Amino acid sequence: MSVRQAGEGRLVGAALRCYPAPWRRRHAAEAAELASLLIADGVPAVSIAWSYLAGAARAWLAPRPGRSLSTAAAALLAATCLLGFSAALIAQTAPARAASRTQSPSSSILPTTKPASRGVARYSPRPFTPCRPAVPGQVTGAIPAVGHRQPSIPGTTHARSC
Amino acid sequence: MSTPERDLLRRVGEASVLVLVSLAGGPKHGYALIQDVRQFAGVELGPGTLYGALDRLERLGLIEPLPADERRHPYRITAPGAAALRLHLDSLERVSTAGRLRLQLGGI
Repeated sequence: MSVRQAGEGRLVGAALRCYPAPWRRRHAAEAAELASLLIADGVPAVSIAWSYLAGAARAWLAPRPGRSLSTAAAALLAATCLLGFSAALIAQTAPARAASRTQSPSSSILPTTKPASRGVARYSPRPFTPCRPAVPGQVTGAIPAVGHRQPSIPGTTHARSC
Repeated sequence: MSTPERDLLRRVGEASVLVLVSLAGGPKHGYALIQDVRQFAGVELGPGTLYGALDRLERLGLIEPLPADERRHPYRITAPGAAALRLHLDSLERVSTAGRLRLQLGGI
């Protein structure tokens, strides 16, 4: 056997190894022999290998008994992973967003603190709006920021934590 | 009203039909099939395409393998395979006749 024939044999053999195992058990020996006959007829080994590669792709994609269940299981697993990843991403960004909303302006209007992490939670500056006076006892939704003193203006109460 | 018979070969692809036509002439193995199809249809079947067609036809019960002759597995057409081929060829013939007639009437 010449070096060229050995190379062609390896090329076709590599393509045949791409088939599913049940196919190889049944057809590999015959397919290798068929390839050698075609090469002897003058068919280029590359085109035979390419044909076997395309056939292997089709063999993997062809529906087989029992394949539908495993495909459904794989799709379910992928969907679960995707949902879990999305939930983790949302959980990571939520505290940073909440922190940016409960900033106390006692130090300044614009925050001096950095976002929790770059690219995940960004601060979007809002225009300054003056506080609305409200009747004492009707102040709702005012959540005091932890660690910050609430500003108090004598004679007025404020509808929100500003 | 009788239910029309289903043309199984409508969706199996040209290679499968060519293989079935070749096997209608008698049992053959892979290499003989490729040579026969080249001779009567002028189509060069790749070996990957051939095995795909053989697997598909066998799964449909239209062909069956015969005992191996050394490493070669000859195949033969089954009775349902012959019936399916006849039905498909009839359908092709109707299409062919209609097409020729319309080309003639249209003067194209």
